[in-house]
Amino acid sequence: MPSASDTVSTTDRRSRGSVALKAVGLLVLAAAVLSFPSVAANPFILSVGVVIMSYAVLATSWNFVGGFTGYISLGHAAYSGLGGYATGLLVIHTGVNPWLGMLLAGLAVAVLAVPIGIASLRVRGASFVIVSIALVLILLLVFQSWGSFTGGSNGLRVPRPFGPEVLRPEQHERFFYLHAALLAVALLTWWLIDRSRFGMGLKAIREDEDKAQALGVPTFTYKLIAFVVSAFFTALGGGLYALWFGFLDPIFQFSILVGSYMVLMSLLGGIRSLFGPFLGAVIVGYAVEYFKNQYGDTQFHLVAMGLLLGLVVLFMPDGIIPAATNLVDRFRPQKTSIREVTQAELAEQRRTAGPEAAQADQQARTDDGTDIPTSDSTVTEGARS
Amino acid sequence: MASDTTPRASEQYLLELDDVEAGYGRAALVLRGLTVKVPPATVVCLVGPNGAGKSTVLKVASGMLTPRSGTIRVAGKDVTKNSPQQMLAAGLSHVLQGHSVFKEMTVEENVRLGAYSVKDKGEVNDRIDFVKTLFPVVADRWNALAGALSGGQQKQVEFARSLMVSPQVVLLDEPSMGLDPKATGTVFEQVVRMRDAGTAVLLVEQNARRALETADLGCVLDLGRVHISGPADELLRDPQLAELYLGGRPAASPAT
Repeated sequence: MPSASDTVSTTDRRSRGSVALKAVGLLVLAAAVLSFPSVAANPFILSVGVVIMSYAVLATSWNFVGGFTGYISLGHAAYSGLGGYATGLLVIHTGVNPWLGMLLAGLAVAVLAVPIGIASLRVRGASFVIVSIALVLILLLVFQSWGSFTGGSNGLRVPRPFGPEVLRPEQHERFFYLHAALLAVALLTWWLIDRSRFGMGLKAIREDEDKAQALGVPTFTYKLIAFVVSAFFTALGGGLYALWFGFLDPIFQFSILVGSYMVLMSLLGGIRSLFGPFLGAVIVGYAVEYFKNQYGDTQFHLVAMGLLLGLVVLFMPDGIIPAATNLVDRFRPQKTSIREVTQAELAEQRRTAGPEAAQADQQARTDDGTDIPTSDSTVTEGARS
Repeated sequence: MASDTTPRASEQYLLELDDVEAGYGRAALVLRGLTVKVPPATVVCLVGPNGAGKSTVLKVASGMLTPRSGTIRVAGKDVTKNSPQQMLAAGLSHVLQGHSVFKEMTVEENVRLGAYSVKDKGEVNDRIDFVKTLFPVVADRWNALAGALSGGQQKQVEFARSLMVSPQVVLLDEPSMGLDPKATGTVFEQVVRMRDAGTAVLLVEQNARRALETADLGCVLDLGRVHISGPADELLRDPQLAELYLGGRPAASPAT
């Protein structure tokens, strides 16, 4: 049987090994992302890459609320749409530098998210989901009807930040890198929160909000901060998309579908994992583009996405990353306290524990015989495990 | 019968529930003029049949239920109308019935959450060292997910979490629930260690005999009042009490 010090040193080695592994993984990932534009076969593939990166930004931003607090918002398209429109309208009406406009739009949406958060975070579970959907539908109506300002159903043309001398493929490449940079900032922020005291409080809320409150976590304030940060990044994602795509239509911006994609991507990858939403965005984003390309304007891609969502919920409720981690862990040395103990070791333990253990055994026997509640509870525990 | 639980000497009580009446909603009173006093570094155990109001005593003491009349004092200070958070700040830490660890967070995160209201980092780290020494299991499984621990180990994590705020009194609601006799033994040993480390404990238990063997003072509750109280070993030897509440057999000697 390994002594205590042995166990500690193997654990140390393992964790050091996994840190090195993570560092290598991160470098490979960064290299893969950065080299994508140069290996992309044609501008179309490159544009699919931009779409996927845009989804990755949105899903990662969504995960500030969904992943940390467990509040599932189906209406995050409200913030990406507002971010896009605010960016476009600022550029058109004030002539501000587009990048500054995008940042201002993000801040404006963040400010707007405060009262929305105060109102909607009071309710939990299904009620919160419904409130979040309602917001998108309201915004859709407003932006469709207020034609003089938003362009209405005709859409809004957003001026391109790069001049006409920059050709299409070059545009795609630049926006691919811009999205990647924004994604990196969002991921870094998520990672920092994940390791902080604030993040610990948020995770406690996700598991049991009442218990967290009883321990002194200011639950409402924390939820609100996570919500506002999420809205801010989502709006930046929407703004960047608007600058790339150059055209906004309310029906696509304020769509339940976009919000659902963010949820599906995050769930698929794993909402508790840093890279979960990114991975989900790559898979779902690619699948959506593939189905659209293969089956044209049919609704087939929706059927496929519905099927995918069903499969995820049934077989990988925690997402791909946790499922894969579990699979890898199965082939590693066991980390749990349950170890196989040989009879000789057991005898040794008994001997060293000595009279105390013997007494406990004795006690156990008397208790079983006389004390009804104890034997009851023992049975229950057995049944549970 | 006098409901004063402790020696009448002039020592200060850490927790006093004085003539407390409490109940849920419009239903009849559960506690009818209950008085319990907890001196420093003592384990006080409440036993009694189901429905006697044992858990309600802890709910009142932790601010989850506001009493209709009577007073609650912590170290002499009136805290009767306090919210749960204020009770925590006043020094009453409640370990709930059943398993209440955050199963998907690590042992470390669980323990640190206990000190969420403590701002001083140095103090938090001191307390962590303290609970790690007190509960070796917590130190051993520091990075494990709390949900992966056995019931008895989870209970110790909860104990550790409750001690992070340096409470005056820890309120334990049925710590042996769902544990096998051996784990129950360990949990009660830890209760004694908590007391020896200077924390008073107000303990509620179904497993009356075992709890009284652990406790210093005992109170037998019936119908919302303290029926009999006194040193725990005397209660254990009382033949009438054994007949009524401890399963019909007087304990000849506590060490079987």
